[in-house]
Amino acid sequence: MTNPTVAEAWVAAPLKRLMEDARLISGVLLYPSGRAVGQFGFSNAADVMSICALTSAINASARELGRQLDGKPFYEMHHAGAERQVFMARAAAGAQEFLFVGVFDRESSLGMVEIYFSEFQKALEKLLPENQTIAIRPSGDFEGELNRSLDALFGPIGKK
Amino acid sequence: MKAVNQVVGSLSRVPGVVAAMVVGASDGLIIEASEMIGRAPGATDTRRPTAALASYLYSKVTRASDAARLGTPAFMRLEAESGHICVVGARDVVLVTIVAPDANLGRVRLDMMNAAKDNR
Repeated sequence: MTNPTVAEAWVAAPLKRLMEDARLISGVLLYPSGRAVGQFGFSNAADVMSICALTSAINASARELGRQLDGKPFYEMHHAGAERQVFMARAAAGAQEFLFVGVFDRESSLGMVEIYFSEFQKALEKLLPENQTIAIRPSGDFEGELNRSLDALFGPIGKK
Repeated sequence: MKAVNQVVGSLSRVPGVVAAMVVGASDGLIIEASEMIGRAPGATDTRRPTAALASYLYSKVTRASDAARLGTPAFMRLEAESGHICVVGARDVVLVTIVAPDANLGRVRLDMMNAAKDNR
């Protein structure tokens, strides 16, 4: 199990703890805009880029679907595959919102992931830097933001 | 086969049982749970994390028991400073109880085993 790589140092410790405690195979923490904040279990920037784009889109659709059906956005989503399962949820820290997507197998369970994700959320709330909300407002440049965050996680392409 | 609410209801009435739960064996999520007896208003509800961790632990104990060629575990009890957690497997679910330290554990064990047998 490798340590998480992060674009913002303050998320490294809670992300590592979540990974270890919930026995997740891989995971990505991102802003709803699609900008990656941290990841573990991936060695390829293209995979993280796809996951960020898909998670951001799924969150937007699920949020609207929840509003239409239940009057409020869905909080989390779980997909159980034959071998692996996907857990996706929103985490709020102060006024800032994050998305998390994690993959686990039979070495863990949905109940375990939910328990440790709620602890992770509390840790984010506690550790969020005071000026963070101002710094991460979406610029409207989705592709640019995504590429910059991937550079922070994996290093600039072509400079390795 | 008893309904899950009946299982939880009868186990929660056993003297010393603080909470009884029927939990999904694979996902660790609560299917049915009793109220926590004696929980002070505003105190943390420990049922959800207990259910998730107890079912996870039971799955690991099952693997250990298999590895030792002992077969399926019949009953699991975790003794802690302030009480016990008891777990019995019943097909796709596990029965979990949080038990006070001074409880009659023999009675708790017997009732849990019988409840599990009814659900097998």
